[in-house]
Amino acid sequence: MITRSRLSRMMLWGLALLAPATFAQVPGAKEVRATTLANGMQILVWPDRDIPNVALYNWVRVGSRNEVPGITGLAHFFEHMMFNGTSKRAPGEFDQVLEANGARNNAFTSDDVTVYQDWFPRSALETVFELEADRLRNLSFDPKVVESERNVVHSERRLRVDDSHQGRLQEQVQATAFVAHPYGIPTIGWPSDILSWSIDDLKTFFATYYAPNNCTLILVGDVDPDQVIALAKKYLEPIPSHEPPKLVKTVEPEQLGERRVAVNAEAQTPLVQFAYHGISGSDPRRPALDLLTRVLTDGDASRLHRSLVEEQKLTISADSYFTAGFDPGLIWFFLSLPADGDAAKAEAAFTQQIERVIKDGVTKEELARARSQALADFWRGLATIDGKAQALGTFAVLQGGHEKLFDAPRAYEAVTQADLQKVAAELLRQTNRTVGVLSSPPPADELQTKTGGAE
Amino acid sequence: MNALRRFIVVTASICSLSVTSAFAANAVKTPDFETVKLPNGATLLLMERHDVPLISFNAVIRGGALTDPENRLGTANLLAGLLEKGAGSRDANAFAETVASVGGSIETGTATESISVAGSFLARDQKLMVELLADVLQRPRLEQAQFEALRGRYIEFIRAAKDSDRSSLTPIYGAATLFGSHPYGRPVGGSEASLAAITHSDVQKYYQDNVGADRVIIAVAGDFKTSQLKSSLSRAFSGWRKAGQPMPSVPKQPDITGRRVLLVDAPDAVQSYFWAGDVSVARKDPRRASLDIVNTLFGGRFTSMLNTELRIRSGLSYGASSRFDRMAEGGSWEFASFTRTEKTIEAIDLAFATLDKLHEGAIADPQLESAKSYVLGQYPLGLETASQWAYQLATLEFYGLDRSYIDNYGDALRAVTLADAKRIVSEVIPPSQQSVLVVIGKADAIRDDLRKYGPLTEVKLADPEFQPKS
Repeated sequence: MITRSRLSRMMLWGLALLAPATFAQVPGAKEVRATTLANGMQILVWPDRDIPNVALYNWVRVGSRNEVPGITGLAHFFEHMMFNGTSKRAPGEFDQVLEANGARNNAFTSDDVTVYQDWFPRSALETVFELEADRLRNLSFDPKVVESERNVVHSERRLRVDDSHQGRLQEQVQATAFVAHPYGIPTIGWPSDILSWSIDDLKTFFATYYAPNNCTLILVGDVDPDQVIALAKKYLEPIPSHEPPKLVKTVEPEQLGERRVAVNAEAQTPLVQFAYHGISGSDPRRPALDLLTRVLTDGDASRLHRSLVEEQKLTISADSYFTAGFDPGLIWFFLSLPADGDAAKAEAAFTQQIERVIKDGVTKEELARARSQALADFWRGLATIDGKAQALGTFAVLQGGHEKLFDAPRAYEAVTQADLQKVAAELLRQTNRTVGVLSSPPPADELQTKTGGAE
Repeated sequence: MNALRRFIVVTASICSLSVTSAFAANAVKTPDFETVKLPNGATLLLMERHDVPLISFNAVIRGGALTDPENRLGTANLLAGLLEKGAGSRDANAFAETVASVGGSIETGTATESISVAGSFLARDQKLMVELLADVLQRPRLEQAQFEALRGRYIEFIRAAKDSDRSSLTPIYGAATLFGSHPYGRPVGGSEASLAAITHSDVQKYYQDNVGADRVIIAVAGDFKTSQLKSSLSRAFSGWRKAGQPMPSVPKQPDITGRRVLLVDAPDAVQSYFWAGDVSVARKDPRRASLDIVNTLFGGRFTSMLNTELRIRSGLSYGASSRFDRMAEGGSWEFASFTRTEKTIEAIDLAFATLDKLHEGAIADPQLESAKSYVLGQYPLGLETASQWAYQLATLEFYGLDRSYIDNYGDALRAVTLADAKRIVSEVIPPSQQSVLVVIGKADAIRDDLRKYGPLTEVKLADPEFQPKS
């Protein structure tokens, strides 16, 4: 996921937060108001009056999944352009007005969606609506700003990918894992495409995807739902709907054997990554897969941490996450090795642990622990207005409806040991994975000998 | 200059239209809490928050990197990591399993001035929480094998960090160069070399000398009855010994008079990551609201002067920002950004020129009002949850502040005048000629040009120290 700005957390320290009890209903769940405007825009409002502030998330259903060669990275670039002027407001004015009203904003782009976020005191509510409506309706492109912002995005790419070994390897693994589906496209974009997008590309993109019927707007915080809906009708409903964008029809064909990719870099610490084809957001196996990855990597008691990091000392960390969007995504595992680490040994030890879980499943205690951790994280996520807006939107847009958010505790309870073993067997097969290794290139003389031999 | 003026005029007209009501909105005050001082010096702070059945804690131990033995930097951080690797009746595995099995969390961390142990548990696990916290602080096992493994891993973590986001490394080199041998310059996690020199007995000795009741503040917020938790915490901590050594005093900060440069060679880098800073004011500085306003305007938000120049107008960088790092006896003010190698000098020149503009009087009333509104509007977002309140209470106690630090902040912001802001610029923000500049980048491409900023010292990113040998 690629974000607009790194300034975001400067004022907000605070630590992680937990909330209600394990089996409790989500407090305030019944107060969520859902409505759809006449132009097709979905609105969800969740009042929460702990602090006099509001979090607004506008989820637009477009991401790098909607790109093709030549315009890779355009969804993310577009995200940047959404702050850069309309027919009514000069570039920069959006940010200036918001900040002068006590608001902060950001945005992020993923494979599936582009999400625009505002955090503001309740007094700024109408101003925020006016600004959000303006850019959704009247966005304009100043050629000078396009060129300047192109460089900003290129700098972001250098920071996250070109000057970061994890970023460099992950981009290669992702591109290798998909042969047909656009999930293989890096969200930041390939450098040559970053250099060549045109204003026409931007205009086409805006007309295709930035329609009210392609958006879900979430507001959580110190608001009155009636007032929010009235403001939405006043500012957003007049924006005409568009014809829905073309569907992404490509289905990734089944992978028939392990794929491998190597990246040579002057690395102090080698890296190994694994990406298995996984599930979509609406897949009923999601809670089971979540618990399975927790058994493997969540905390010091997890299997991969204990075996690879603590016992065998083959790696210094073992992490995982999975994407679950409109289409089946990837289940990622990341191993960092010590400076003199042996990538082949680390890979073998990792594979052994995966095979063990497929063959023998997980213990009752492991499942219970993973469930407690998942529930605790679920409540942690709902402790802030920001976390609520993120969770509500994720479920509403990517995971089959916002009501399912409130079912999450029950869904975790329903998962069995057999479910975990089954999902491991179905997804963590060796033939379903791509393995990436980043390490220092062999010394120059050795390389020459090898090349000479091949000739 | 014309463009800048346009920017100012635009902002002015907007503010006059719509900014009026933001001030009225901020109304977050510190909820009531109870302070308990145990006879052995331990401080307990308890704040009931019954909205969710959860308890968060933040235990802070005075010391941190300040109390690292001089030739063993990173000792406090290693000790912090070891605290959760087995304590009381539980070895490391049993401890991790116990915490995970109730969905609890315990995280230890280290800063320049303190070690912290923070976390949260469901309200029904209050008893277990007190037991685990007391074990971690009073009965950590500090086993040799765990020590060896953790030290090895921490060394590798530093190496791994040097292979990723370099912008997160410039503040470490920056503090080391700015403060020199002053303890505020210490890399909190140590360096590859200093960690390699630390022995198991160093960590045991550190624990004896620097962890004890007279050094600890335990702040708890959440769903509990104060009378009940007060008595169980008092019982758990009243028998604890004091730390073996007194807190060392912090010497006077060095004065920076000219400008010097540290170049950190990363031969494969495609961007240069730069940082410039000067020593600055302490946490208790009474001008806090004015300091925050001035920093917000210069580099503390998206439309700040620095981000406007380096990102919005020139496209040189993905981001540029500035910040105060205010500690008990002083601290630093610093700014940072990055750009592709070929643009290094252009970007650093522009950053310093922007600082010059600040000193030439770039702040006027419209910006001042905008910054007040922004800081005030964002402030409640850090005062939302039990764990944020536990952190806030511990921080107030740590620096000898009271609730007015939070409750009166809104009034203090409203009271800031243009003259106050200008005084901060001239008295606190360094001129561009008075700073330490750190650049991580491809040295061969930028070394000669960087010399114009001042005397240059060069090290390699792969060197096992953050502090240049002098």
